[in-house]
Amino acid sequence: MKPLNLIALLLFLAGAMWALTRSEPVVREIQVAYFKAISPTLKSGSSLETKTRNLIRETKHSKELEAELSTIRGEIGRLRIIESRFKELELENAELRHALDFKKATRFDVVAASVIRRHPTTWWQTVEIDAGENRGIGIQLSVLSNDGLVGLIDRPFKNRSSVLLVTDEKCQVSVRIEGSPEVGILSGQRGEFDNNPTLRLRFLSKNASLQPGQRVFTTGRGGIFQPNILVGTLISVERGSLDSEALVRPAVDLSELSTVFVVLSENH
Amino acid sequence: MKPTTLLRFNFSAVFLLLAAFLVQQFVPAFTGLSHARILIVHLVFLCAAVSVATPTMLLLAFIGGILWDAHCSLAPMLVDPEIYTHPTESLRFGYSILLFAGMGFLMQGLSPLFRKGKWQFSALLSGVATFLYLAADYALISFVRGDFVMSRSILRLMSYTALLTMLFSPLVFWLLYRLAMVFDHSLYPEAGKNKRRSF
Repeated sequence: MKPLNLIALLLFLAGAMWALTRSEPVVREIQVAYFKAISPTLKSGSSLETKTRNLIRETKHSKELEAELSTIRGEIGRLRIIESRFKELELENAELRHALDFKKATRFDVVAASVIRRHPTTWWQTVEIDAGENRGIGIQLSVLSNDGLVGLIDRPFKNRSSVLLVTDEKCQVSVRIEGSPEVGILSGQRGEFDNNPTLRLRFLSKNASLQPGQRVFTTGRGGIFQPNILVGTLISVERGSLDSEALVRPAVDLSELSTVFVVLSENH
Repeated sequence: MKPTTLLRFNFSAVFLLLAAFLVQQFVPAFTGLSHARILIVHLVFLCAAVSVATPTMLLLAFIGGILWDAHCSLAPMLVDPEIYTHPTESLRFGYSILLFAGMGFLMQGLSPLFRKGKWQFSALLSGVATFLYLAADYALISFVRGDFVMSRSILRLMSYTALLTMLFSPLVFWLLYRLAMVFDHSLYPEAGKNKRRSF
């Protein structure tokens, strides 16, 4: 080997070792610097992707969209009424908690955001949303849609955030099954790149009495997700020698995701 | 070959790689093709790797790998270990640097042919290298997390991504060729009689 190549190789290995031994805060700093540098392009790229997607969607479903719009308008009216009722209940709840001398006040604020980019990486199931730290979004906050759990905030940046979808293997959710004492850990399955991915529910008891169609909700345990958020529906149960596992269909159609809500709650 | 022209070409290759990161933001995933996408960054690196010397290739591998990990790596989940007893592991930040270098050395295996002007073999190898990169990436993920699963959708994703990426390699070689011309550098110094067949 030529001396110059050998020196270059040694320098390269030293550089690689430096990168591999960086701590999480340093990695985060590198990522922030990287995304800050490409930010203008990122905005253009995201807006191009959103426009293209919207154009295709509008072309395909213009009539369906019209019908959907009128339904949504009706739904908004209904939700406004419900919201006003919720506010009353929240006020009443706060008063009761105060009366019971609760030290922590309940806060359940949400931030609405639009999905601007899908699956920007090869292996991870992630999307990007157009809300970030400037709107109060922090790491590991729950992300919901009208239909249920979407995932959690993976990396928040100044005005955008990366959301790890519930279909990713890394996104683990502590869940319970409706009408059953069973609890388990739900996560995405590796290598599910089809449009209808399923989730795997593990650590169920060996003789779990479960039926397809039962709904799966978050338990609220573990420090990330609030309780009683719909995650999906049971498809099948596989019994093992030590425990049982189940397949779950996500409640949210992640291929059609456009608007999501980030829960800013501090207390679960 | 003048050292200054070589240096200028090497710098232009680095800038081309950085530009590839910007272009990559505009490349969506093809949902109909198992979410495959054109890996512009990898393609530019692979094409540049065959046209530069080993030290420059290693520099490109370092820049490409570290920026790619900055682009892709996920944050660790900070959860209650009593509830989440089996957290899903992630690869360490910076592992792509080594993968990029591995693919770079593979591409450099064809540099004698490339210097003779036979870029077509390098174009084909860029597809193979992309596939191998994805396979190695996936194997590492499986190794860290356990349970090696190789489904059809994974194979489709890797194959379509490699194929789509390879189809754009002539364009990147043409860009490198133009850059070399601008900086008075020759990509095919040993082309000789085959010079007419090159770009």
